[in-house]
Amino acid sequence: MSVAKLLALDKVAKLFNIIKQNGGIRASLYKLYKQEELKDGVLVGEDKFGNKYYENPRYFYSRNRWVEYSEKVHLNYDASQVPAEWYGWLHYKTDLPPHQDPSRPHYKWMAEFTENLSGTTGQYTPYSTTRAKIEPWVPKPKTGA
Amino acid sequence: MLRQPLSRALALTSPTRAAPLAARRFAEQVQARPDNVEVFIDDQPVYVPPGTTVLQAAAQVGVEIPRFCYHERLAVAGNCRMCLVEVEKSPKPVAACAMPVMKGMRVKTNSDLTRKAREGVMEFLLVNHPLDCPICDQGGECDLQDQSMAFGSDKSRFTDIHFSGKRAVEDKDVGPLIKTIMTRCIHCTRCIRFASEVAGVDDFGTTGRGTDMQVGTYVEKMFLSELSGNIIDLCPVGALTSKPYSFAARPWETRRIDSVDVLDPLGSNIVVATRTNEVLRILPRTNEEINEEWLADKSRFACDGLKRQRLVTPMMADSRGNLTPCEWEDAIVAAARALRDCPPDKLVAVSGDLADAESLVALKDLLNKLGSENTCTEQYFPLEGSGIDFRSSYLLNTKIANVEEADFVLLIGTNVRFEAPLLNARIRKAFIHKETDVALVGPKVDLTYDYMHVGDSASIVKDLATGTSAHEVLKRLESAKRPVVILGADQLKTQEGSALLAYTQELALRLQDKLQDKNWKVLNVLQRTASQVAALDIGYKPGVGKVLEAGPKVVYLLGADAGVVTRESLPKDAVVIYQGHHGDVGAQAADIVLPGAAYTEKRATYVNAEGRAQQTLVAVTPPGKAREDWKIIRALSEVVGERLPYDNLDEVRTRMSEISPALVSYGDVQDNNYFAQARALAQSLQKPVSGKLDVQLKTLEDYFMTDSISRASPTMAKCVQAVLKQKQSPY
Repeated sequence: MSVAKLLALDKVAKLFNIIKQNGGIRASLYKLYKQEELKDGVLVGEDKFGNKYYENPRYFYSRNRWVEYSEKVHLNYDASQVPAEWYGWLHYKTDLPPHQDPSRPHYKWMAEFTENLSGTTGQYTPYSTTRAKIEPWVPKPKTGA
Repeated sequence: MLRQPLSRALALTSPTRAAPLAARRFAEQVQARPDNVEVFIDDQPVYVPPGTTVLQAAAQVGVEIPRFCYHERLAVAGNCRMCLVEVEKSPKPVAACAMPVMKGMRVKTNSDLTRKAREGVMEFLLVNHPLDCPICDQGGECDLQDQSMAFGSDKSRFTDIHFSGKRAVEDKDVGPLIKTIMTRCIHCTRCIRFASEVAGVDDFGTTGRGTDMQVGTYVEKMFLSELSGNIIDLCPVGALTSKPYSFAARPWETRRIDSVDVLDPLGSNIVVATRTNEVLRILPRTNEEINEEWLADKSRFACDGLKRQRLVTPMMADSRGNLTPCEWEDAIVAAARALRDCPPDKLVAVSGDLADAESLVALKDLLNKLGSENTCTEQYFPLEGSGIDFRSSYLLNTKIANVEEADFVLLIGTNVRFEAPLLNARIRKAFIHKETDVALVGPKVDLTYDYMHVGDSASIVKDLATGTSAHEVLKRLESAKRPVVILGADQLKTQEGSALLAYTQELALRLQDKLQDKNWKVLNVLQRTASQVAALDIGYKPGVGKVLEAGPKVVYLLGADAGVVTRESLPKDAVVIYQGHHGDVGAQAADIVLPGAAYTEKRATYVNAEGRAQQTLVAVTPPGKAREDWKIIRALSEVVGERLPYDNLDEVRTRMSEISPALVSYGDVQDNNYFAQARALAQSLQKPVSGKLDVQLKTLEDYFMTDSISRASPTMAKCVQAVLKQKQSPY
């Protein structure tokens, strides 16, 4: 065991490495603020929404694949923003990310991926089947005006 | 003349059948009473006047005897037998409702014999009553349910294992208001007695006997009465229920808010039953001085009009003149600009049928601040002579309850039956129980009782006033101890109105001066609407004729829907602002519409025809963007730049009490004076009159739709159709 390891200097080196990989102190602090975690890893791919997918086998299983959400959504990220094709890789259903997997089917009828819109103006609301309690008065249009 | 049904005439007259009134204090009425007799109810001694029934004596010591057929405002029938009690030394149990007390009588209301008798009666009733409580509208407020729980047997001997069937009776069709499920009927005959005694429509009766007995109208016929809804309340079971309210709610689901009715000038006390911010039904609330425990059909059933044709958002006329919804801010700013830019003498406010005192005060204050004095009401009242300076000139001075004590009633140009149904019920009560006679000057109408028809020309009033009439009525009036003269306010809008009022005042005061009873008031003017008295108290000028002739620039309609202000009567460039709760005549003519609250949606003051201030309470919230009326005017005043000095209801009411303390003394009615001064000022107005008196509401179909709420009500429309259809029928 080397002296450096005894003094845990390798850990310090790792920290500097992580900060370096994440683009300096300023960018690292911003990432910490945004996702409360700072990790180093290999960029596996990026989807069309701008989310970046990383992998680092040094972390234990289930923490070793992660997504960094697009800058466009800032703090309003949520898990439903991961498109279906990346979902499988992120959840260890497959080890092949979508752009490296030739067996994935692409049909014309496949719908565009949308995130969960609940709580936004785009959410789905069923129409009411009950009659309104109050019937408002509708003025008669003026004739000859 | 036999005025009451035979059964009633032959029955023992019980002196205190109706609850005694606090307002009675006429000297000669207090007769020397025979000594009270002592009776014992469950060994408790009680002293009651002779002629009192056992049931009433028991009520005095707080013992309630179960009953179905007995009702304190109806004649005693004694046919349900539920009130059987044991009386010592009597071989059989006696019916407490019909048995007069005797000296030293010992009544046992909770003995074994009494309980066994009740259980027996209950058992017989239930054998012939369907077990459909889960689908019965009376469920939860059913006397039969309650009393079978309290007094019935705990087990049943009814074992219809062969399904031979219970008694079943065909349902009757008595119109669009009352639903009948006659199988549930227990033959208490309350509806029959109400119809013949109070409503004066003797259509109900029984046919058959024993198990074949049926209550009905003999031939299929609508119950043509303006008080028909009351038999729903009277029915102790679910045989008569409300058709518009059928299957709507259970009584324990509803919230009940005490309020006041505004659809007729009497201000009947009501309870508004609501659920989930929706008015479900309206029931009467007992007030001995106004409506007893009855309610007129329009007041009871027009509540579904509160859900239709409502103004829910402010509106403004667009470039083509069509009203389009807008925001409050835009409407208020537009209205404020119109008010500010208008020369004060061209600014007019007109108040309608259903305006409350708070908004009337706020609107008048606003107009006065802007320099205009043109606030007026739709209903006209003559301003000549003393005009509206004395309250006595435009009120029911006798008061509604005291009409019962009258011995002669003269009606001038009014169909009381439809203008104020419960006042008519009082007159009918006096007619039946007190031998009061009634005379009518005006068109011949059906008042539900016999009256002397004097004629319909206005000159009759003149002859009566000057004492030159040869008619019998004059003699009867002069010999009456407590005469009442009721003048319909509708007669006053004609050219001869002021003369007619002057003659009526002359006649009434001539009679009043001769009376022994100095507290008795003779002169009555029956207003047509709930808002008129408050408006006159506040100082609104009656009638719009003069201000419309002056060509106003801005007209502010406060619920004015009677159609006296039309677009044709205004200059082309006039701006009409309408504030109210229903889209009716007024809103259609308006350029700016401000949605207000109806009487169930605001805490507001109304003054009834007697001059009694009462307040409505908030039962539901105003729909959509509608707001309480005085708040709209207060907000408008801020934007106009003439801020009104009140921010909450208490401050508005303080302002009202500055104008007239009578406006805020709720439930109270002041005695009016200054009759003599009004009479003196009216002397010069006694000009010859030649016209004929006519009334607007002649028959039942005219009664149902008279204001913006009842015109919007589908139930009222059905009533009109049903009455017209009934008229086609040979019966």
